[in-house]
Amino acid sequence: MFKVNPLRQRQFLGGIIGLVLGVSLFYVLTLDATEDYVSVGPMNTGHEDLSCFACHADAKGNLAQQLQSNISYAVGARAESVDFGTQDVTLDNCLQCHDRPNDRHPTHRFTEPRFKDAIKNVDATTCITCHAEHHGERVSITPINYCMNCHQDLEVENDPLDISHKDLIAKEEWLTCIQCHDFHGNHKYEVAEHLKDTIPMKAIQAYFDGGKDPYSAVKKYIALSQEEWIKTLEK
Amino acid sequence: MTIRSKVIVFASAIVMSACGGVPEEKTTTEGAENAFSVAQVLEMVAKENDVTRTLYTKAIVGKGKKQGMKFDEDWRKDDVEAGPLPALFLRGVASSIRKNPVPLGLYLGSDFPINAANKFEGQQADLFQKIKKDQEPQFFYDEDQKLHTAMFADLASAGACVSCHNDHPQTSKSDWKLGDVMGATTWQYPKDSLTYKETVAVLNSYAKGTVDIYMEYLDEIKNFKSSEKPEIGTKWPAEGNYLPTAEVFLDSVKKLSSYETMKHLVVVNK
Repeated sequence: MFKVNPLRQRQFLGGIIGLVLGVSLFYVLTLDATEDYVSVGPMNTGHEDLSCFACHADAKGNLAQQLQSNISYAVGARAESVDFGTQDVTLDNCLQCHDRPNDRHPTHRFTEPRFKDAIKNVDATTCITCHAEHHGERVSITPINYCMNCHQDLEVENDPLDISHKDLIAKEEWLTCIQCHDFHGNHKYEVAEHLKDTIPMKAIQAYFDGGKDPYSAVKKYIALSQEEWIKTLEK
Repeated sequence: MTIRSKVIVFASAIVMSACGGVPEEKTTTEGAENAFSVAQVLEMVAKENDVTRTLYTKAIVGKGKKQGMKFDEDWRKDDVEAGPLPALFLRGVASSIRKNPVPLGLYLGSDFPINAANKFEGQQADLFQKIKKDQEPQFFYDEDQKLHTAMFADLASAGACVSCHNDHPQTSKSDWKLGDVMGATTWQYPKDSLTYKETVAVLNSYAKGTVDIYMEYLDEIKNFKSSEKPEIGTKWPAEGNYLPTAEVFLDSVKKLSSYETMKHLVVVNK
């Protein structure tokens, strides 16, 4: 079909090999079995069994349509750009499995103007500030003294703790908060009344790194598994 | 450029343009005329909120307490058998609103909150001082978030508001009186004007939020182990150990709603 100039035969052969390799790689790397090789890092604790598509849904249209739409947008022929390849991962992706009515720090609370300064320090309007994905851990934020951004004025009447909350705050002992209180308030457990009985920071850090849960094995709500999440989409 | 290159470029261009691109999302409101300013809509929904909150506080919490029903800030905990206090009822509504596509935000704050983290700061604190003086709503544009924002007085409309806040162990003010401006609701919306459909969507999202949190309360009651469960139906706590269903509660809100022209359009999509 094509006449190849004898002087360009090596170039032509190289092109064919490149094309075959490219198509093969594209095919192999989009198989479910090779997801681990494509992932930018290990999934966080509890997400090990998730498939890529659970968060990275295919963008609307095929690649040529997406390319055309974005070129049109770049030259001003279209009002909005479109996602290319996969859809952007947003807060909604997290909440579809993790939304709970008892969350004491739901992300939407922090969109109120009065948290403007606080979220400059710790953007609690989005999950990934503390739970950056593909790090193979549970909590990625450091240092874990974020309570200081909103609870500076806290005073507890009839304070049950042997060293009062007021004193702890005055001494800026912000790392002690998390030794009693889990941020999202989903664990069922008795809170210690003596500072010496609180959960050691080593255990907290190990938990944040993906280890054993030091607060309690019992939680009021359990996040949806991928299968359960898919069922919600089918409804 | 050789003829072959030109053919390839031309063919690529044909293929690319033949795809037609990703269809642009047309909003259902496209082409519709804006009917209300954001201030008007937020006033409407704030009035719905006033009616709902007053009804819940007086007819459910106030009368319910007289029947022995309990309401607690820790109402969601498994070992607490109680319903949500009015402020938490509102927070439940706000959470539900954020779960639907209507970009409406609702918050409650004060200068003397029970929880110090709910204390107004910055611009909200300044505007709240004005609200305390004249009880007039305050509007501003939040540049950081690009959201139109409105604040409305939240009054001590029932004895239960005053007694609970005055007697609460964590209270930072214990001399509240009926009619005091105890706090303010803050509402946010991204557009400066709304179509008729968008306005109804805002009102519906609030109404749905009311039903959602009320249903959560009724679900909690189902799990009561040691407390007497009120009978849920058409009767109210004023008549005995009864609670209205979510439908009955919402119907009463609609009947009491001061926004006569809009109330018939509010249909809760369950």
